[in-house]
Amino acid sequence: MSESCYHCGDEVIGRGYTLEDKSFCCNGCKSVFQLLNENGLDSFYSIEQNAGSKPKTTDVHRYDFLDLPSIKERYVDFEDENSIHVVLFLPAIHCSSCIYLLENLNKIEPNILSCQTNFTKRTANIVFLKDALTLPGLALLLDRIGYPPNFEEKKKVNESIDKTFLYKLGVAGFAFGSIMLWSFPEYLGIENLDAGIRSFTSYLSFFISIPVLLYSAREYYFSAYKAIRFKQINIDVPITLGILALYAQSCYHIFSGSGPGYMDSFAGFIFFLLIGKWFQRKTYRSLSFDRDYTSYFPVAVLRVVGDEEEIVEIEKIEEGDHLMIRNDEIVPCDVVLLSELAQIDYSFVTGESEPVSINNGQLVYAGGRLIGAKTRFQAKNASERSRLANLWNKSSETSAKKSKSQANWDRLSSYFLIGVIAVASVSAILWAFIDSDGIVETVVSVLIVACPCALSLSRPFTFGNTMRKLGRKGLYLQNTEVIDEINTVTDVVFDKTGTLTKGSQEKVVFEGDDLSEKEWISLLMLANSSTHVLSRTIVHWIKQKEFVIDSDQSIEKYQETLGQGIQGQVNGKHVKIGNAKFIGVESSDGTFVSINEEVKGKFLFESEIRDGLEEMLSKLNQNYCVHVLSGDSEKDAEMMKSHFPEIEKCYFKQSPEDKFSYVEKLQSEGKVVMMIGDGLNDSGALAKADVGIAISEDVFQFSPNSNGILEANHLRKLNKLLDTSSFATSVLWICLSFSIIYNIIGLGFAISGNLTPLVAAVLMPISSISIVLISTVFIHFRK
Amino acid sequence: MGIIYLMLVVSLIIALFFLFSFLWATKNGQFEDDHTPSIRILFDDENNQTNHTEDDGSRKV
Repeated sequence: MSESCYHCGDEVIGRGYTLEDKSFCCNGCKSVFQLLNENGLDSFYSIEQNAGSKPKTTDVHRYDFLDLPSIKERYVDFEDENSIHVVLFLPAIHCSSCIYLLENLNKIEPNILSCQTNFTKRTANIVFLKDALTLPGLALLLDRIGYPPNFEEKKKVNESIDKTFLYKLGVAGFAFGSIMLWSFPEYLGIENLDAGIRSFTSYLSFFISIPVLLYSAREYYFSAYKAIRFKQINIDVPITLGILALYAQSCYHIFSGSGPGYMDSFAGFIFFLLIGKWFQRKTYRSLSFDRDYTSYFPVAVLRVVGDEEEIVEIEKIEEGDHLMIRNDEIVPCDVVLLSELAQIDYSFVTGESEPVSINNGQLVYAGGRLIGAKTRFQAKNASERSRLANLWNKSSETSAKKSKSQANWDRLSSYFLIGVIAVASVSAILWAFIDSDGIVETVVSVLIVACPCALSLSRPFTFGNTMRKLGRKGLYLQNTEVIDEINTVTDVVFDKTGTLTKGSQEKVVFEGDDLSEKEWISLLMLANSSTHVLSRTIVHWIKQKEFVIDSDQSIEKYQETLGQGIQGQVNGKHVKIGNAKFIGVESSDGTFVSINEEVKGKFLFESEIRDGLEEMLSKLNQNYCVHVLSGDSEKDAEMMKSHFPEIEKCYFKQSPEDKFSYVEKLQSEGKVVMMIGDGLNDSGALAKADVGIAISEDVFQFSPNSNGILEANHLRKLNKLLDTSSFATSVLWICLSFSIIYNIIGLGFAISGNLTPLVAAVLMPISSISIVLISTVFIHFRK
Repeated sequence: MGIIYLMLVVSLIIALFFLFSFLWATKNGQFEDDHTPSIRILFDDENNQTNHTEDDGSRKV
């Protein structure tokens, strides 16, 4: 049984790296430990076990672009003569140890004055001395300890809206509570209370409710006014009508001296309505659903002018500029290769999983990722005119559509309004025969009672609860309206690479000599020292062979050449793993292995279908029409057939544009399409589809614009998630029936002229609270 | 019964006090991050002195 790494918790292979009595899986982890240990931050390891994140090997120049003033000012929050305040997005924050470490950064780097983390948003608010430390230096330090800052993401800040909303809620809640307190004698039926006190409390209620009327309830009037101006009816029209009737009637009561009116119900209405809104608008703030293409690109690149290299923002790249792209960087615009040969990984753009070899003079599209050493390119166009940007703009044009669910809801509201007006007129006519003095009173009471408070709470609470439930199961939706859309879906379209198959190429094939157990172990030891994706894959694969590893294995002189390979001395033998050039063979693809300079063979990587998908897809196929689109060539057709025999609609060699038009074609046939994809290559189709769900291995890291983000390991539960979502509609109908029953009871009181302030004060909270309970109980107690 | 008037006014003042505390707390970001402070309080004090003197959360809003 092997130990786990003291820093990151991964399995330690062989003797690993030891320091004091602790073992580490790789050199990176060990050096982070040393750094923390020297600076007295040992508590990092006692707060949570193995909490570290494995640091990646980073180029020291990676963050140089932050020195550029125009880029720097984007991230600097505030600057005075001594210090700089920055807010950095650190997606690697994941536990309390992270907070401890980051908030004690000043122990490692004394020039950092303070660091405040925000766990929910995964940001750190850092203040540092500007003379002694630079922004790139800070970024590099964070990267070294395993928290690489993400600069590509441009966070939109709309907190001020959130705050205004809380103010409104606070004011309404305050008025509700106070007025109820003063109305207590009325509730108890103490009618012959001192008339002076009665009118005093009435006037107090009147004054306190003014801010509720003018401030808290404001957005309902705006929304209703806007709807009427465009000759439409939405739910806010009957609400506004009810609110105003309630307020007017109460004012009449107060000023005519006949009692405190319905001010308690009025403030309560607004308070409950706002709570409903608050529940609905609470979203996943740390996730981004609406990234544009620029967040896929680096912020800046190296431009070569004459013999000098300079850093420029990608917006400033012009046609003909010479660019240096480093290993693992994304090409920011369409470029022509100037060097001899380069490997480009297009998996973001096209979904093809294997890197493509590009020769001198060939065109490389924006969005490709360079694999290998620093390479020189010439820009063909500006970044915003690249093929990728065009695709993006094409898809964003179509995304401005009004959701169908909202339209349905609005139609329901207009029926409701017509019903209310009809009931009001009928009761007015009836009262004209009985007692003409009661007409106004009755009509106003009908409007009050019909105010669809419970009705308008049904939707936010039912869908809000469903959204939270889905979130706990790994599907994060952009907002509650997506649930409605999901429930109308007829066709589900899957992308293959990265969605049905695993994103990283996890299936390994070894071609070459038969290696002895000892040789396998030395390869394992070497690969385990690196954090590169392929090394991790190789480690994972060799481990499945279950060799017995004696613990005195050690590795010396370990060296990693970025973008090429790794080498080291294992048990006295010189072992190398890397690409063809690194090993020194004439070939293009595969990762080669040599021991003591003798080539032993190569690893080939293939993508592997995620677990449990066969069952999920065959279940899904019973209720929906399932399609699969793949950017890969037809060589995978066989594999698809053997895994998913039910799926007939399988298409290969689909470019991003093809995927987009495929979705468009389905929609023109009247289908409601759900697109499930992962990369940039699906972004067009995701935006075009009625529901776009992005698959992500790590929801905080990287995903295209979409209506929802699904954790990759939960994809096999997709059919259950869709069931949960359709259950919401049933619950919504139950809530609607309840609220209509309440309205009918209320109307009974109103028409018979018995709607006293007390009845209103009881009926209103009971109806609202029971709706909240019904929706919560139903959704949460369903398995 | 005159005391009732006073009591009503006092109750209003107390309620207003809480309303303004709520508004003030919202404005200062009290409800922005409800997770980190709950973790932060558990760290041992010995090495946190420097952090507390330089608390800039309220100053910057």
